[in-house]
Amino acid sequence: MRSRLCHGLPVAAMLSCLPILFAQTPGARGGPPAAAPQERVSSAAVERGNQIYKPSCAFCHGIDARGAAGPDLARSLIVLNDAEGKDLAVFLRSGRPDAGMPAFADMTTEQAADISAFLHARIEESRARAPMNVNAIIVGNAAQGAAFFNGEGKCNTCHNPSADFKGIGAKYDPMVLQGRIINPRGGRGGPPVKPSSVRVTLPNGQTTTSRLVAVNDFSVTLVDGAGNRRTFERDNEVPKVEITDPYQAHLDNFLKMTDKHMHDLTAYLVTLK
Amino acid sequence: MKPTLRLVIPFTIASSLLFSQAVLDPALLGKPPVDAWPTFHGDYSGRHYSTLDQINQSNVKNLGLAWVYRANRNQQGAQTGGAVPEAVPFKLGPGALGGGFLKSTPLMVNGVLYFSSPDHAWAVDARTGKEIWHLFWKTKGGEHIGNRGLGMYGRWLYMETPDGYVVCLEAETGKERWHREIADVRAEYYGTASPIVLGNHVIVGLSGDVLDVPAWLESRDPETGEVQWKWYTTPRAGEKGIETWPDAFAAEHGGGMTWQPVTYDPDLNLVYVGTGNPNPVYRGDLRKGSNLYTASIVALNADTGKLVWYFQSSPHDTHDWDATQVPVLFNMTIDGQPRKLLAQASRNGYFFVLDRTTGKNLVTSKFVESPNWDNGVDEHGEPIPNPEKDSQLGGSLISPNNGGAVNWAPPTYDPETELFYLNTAQGYEIHYQYSIEGPAFGSSGHTAQAVGGIENSLRAIDPRTGKLRWVHKYAGSEWNPIRPEHLGGLLSTAGKLLFAGAPGGFWVAYDPVSGRQLWHTTFDYDVSNTPITYMLDGTQYLLVGAGDALYAFRVQK
Repeated sequence: MRSRLCHGLPVAAMLSCLPILFAQTPGARGGPPAAAPQERVSSAAVERGNQIYKPSCAFCHGIDARGAAGPDLARSLIVLNDAEGKDLAVFLRSGRPDAGMPAFADMTTEQAADISAFLHARIEESRARAPMNVNAIIVGNAAQGAAFFNGEGKCNTCHNPSADFKGIGAKYDPMVLQGRIINPRGGRGGPPVKPSSVRVTLPNGQTTTSRLVAVNDFSVTLVDGAGNRRTFERDNEVPKVEITDPYQAHLDNFLKMTDKHMHDLTAYLVTLK
Repeated sequence: MKPTLRLVIPFTIASSLLFSQAVLDPALLGKPPVDAWPTFHGDYSGRHYSTLDQINQSNVKNLGLAWVYRANRNQQGAQTGGAVPEAVPFKLGPGALGGGFLKSTPLMVNGVLYFSSPDHAWAVDARTGKEIWHLFWKTKGGEHIGNRGLGMYGRWLYMETPDGYVVCLEAETGKERWHREIADVRAEYYGTASPIVLGNHVIVGLSGDVLDVPAWLESRDPETGEVQWKWYTTPRAGEKGIETWPDAFAAEHGGGMTWQPVTYDPDLNLVYVGTGNPNPVYRGDLRKGSNLYTASIVALNADTGKLVWYFQSSPHDTHDWDATQVPVLFNMTIDGQPRKLLAQASRNGYFFVLDRTTGKNLVTSKFVESPNWDNGVDEHGEPIPNPEKDSQLGGSLISPNNGGAVNWAPPTYDPETELFYLNTAQGYEIHYQYSIEGPAFGSSGHTAQAVGGIENSLRAIDPRTGKLRWVHKYAGSEWNPIRPEHLGGLLSTAGKLLFAGAPGGFWVAYDPVSGRQLWHTTFDYDVSNTPITYMLDGTQYLLVGAGDALYAFRVQK
């Protein structure tokens, strides 16, 4: 289904197809862990666990449990497999003296459960991170962006800061705006996509020019001003199909756009509030 | 010749009686696939080429449907297996149903097809498309992104599971014989690869790059499932290659998963494996160095698992460029010299030709125009990454996108045209590294937005030069090219035919010399697996998967 959804839809719809966009969602890339013990733990347990962890474990395993002189506990199979401290308690009571891990003979299952809660919270934190601040992506130079807009970039051939781009910086968040610089077709809350026009030339030389509805290797569908749809079968480029895309300049830009120009344009366009 | 024939004929009769039904004659493995397709690549070469020519340019127009099999996932009446009494609910991974969930390349042995999807395996009558058995694996969880197929040895099948097991099944009944854990699913390991059987080795790879866990390729005994050897994809302290990592800890947690079936040269006794991306995925600053042997093509001794040579397709990868694309093996005469070659079209947009005896690079070229992440090629023919194109706070516009210029779906090499064919994409994403505070896992602190791209196309490459012979751009693929693996794998045949999926659910036969379309059909999903072909009762069949269905074709009389 994903390929179907992604194919031929506006960019914003396509974004939802892209799993890596949702880096904030825990496990979006790899699915959730087989069971999710962290869902059963309370923040109080995490804090109690932290209070036990800090003086007893952090010296070797690091304050964030990601390893120091001792192993990284976020990758420890003992921790990952532990539910409610049961396995962890057994392990902690005997330790691994040959590997330098002392035994905590008095450790209760409740204390181990709190440590387990704390460690699982660290794992989730490490994986999920804080949500992204979209304003942080504005790193470019607005003045240079304006110069590119009106000069080398030739953006002003089609766009005008006081007409179609009036208030564009208020309309979109910076990340969406940046995406639309590259691919302006559709997008969240954006204007409808302007249609391409198509000229179909039959083998006898007869041509039809109209609005393009859909094209693939084996057919082309167009609709005329009166709303009449026509579909032509295609066989190895016959009939001849020539498409005029109103966004052609952006399509050509894929191969040319530099990060510097993209950053500067973003910085400039966000000022058009 | 005559005495030999006398000896051979009775043996053939005897063996065909002995090996009736659900038994694979080991002599078939490694031969050009004709009346069987006994392993993922058909043979060991990864060429996805068939010597069959009953279906050819003169009659391909008359191809018609023989039968359709729609994958049965009903647990009622299924054989069940599993390491737990009840399957746990799991989340379908990205693309598990998208792109079609029959990603598996079927095996065809003695008139029976064997194939798989995550937690499922089936045997289907190749003459009628009727199901013989269905296995349901009660999963513990894990990533259910796909299953690429089964391996077969004698009367047994081998399947990897999303919860990290390799399972041995009776081919006749689908009953589980045993299962062995490859790696612990709680550490985000999972299995998708098709096991490959070489002699008495079952070669098993694994997946999982979320927790920065160690990666390896392993060989198991086909009878007992015991591990024969394990090759870790990154060096340990004191080993060669450790100098390409900041320290032993980074190397051990540096990823390089082995999630694609291997290829094999029986004469050299070398196994060729492509390794996955390093970890943490986008944080090159945490693993300075070239990060051997991630994103590499590696040759291992099949009996010992010892490394013989390597070539790194993406040194110090910071863009998730797995080099797991098929290492395709073929021979060619170059400058009057017969050469044993290996070619890979890599996810990063580069095409490589190597001498497969030594690993020496002969050709490096870009097979699409869009890749923008590199600073050219070094003296070994390996691309030089451009550090300015790492993910940035302000966004870094990268092509290929995460789908790659190509991905895992196999290309094909046609020994008659001496050309290498592949379905490609030129997509773009803006990559952001929005946080580098504290330690990192997998892809933490990173995100990306898709911004479409230029096109999808079918391309023919001359391996002698790395130059493109022809390009067929798919009409309407501009702006939103789809991930290349969502068009399925390719097949070429001695019938002077090239078969490839096209966007819109099309499956098309081309003239491999010119790229001219000769025949096409349409499914309700894009082609999702790699087509195969075989002779059965004197008739050549073509078999292809799209979505949840397998379609069999033959020439209508």
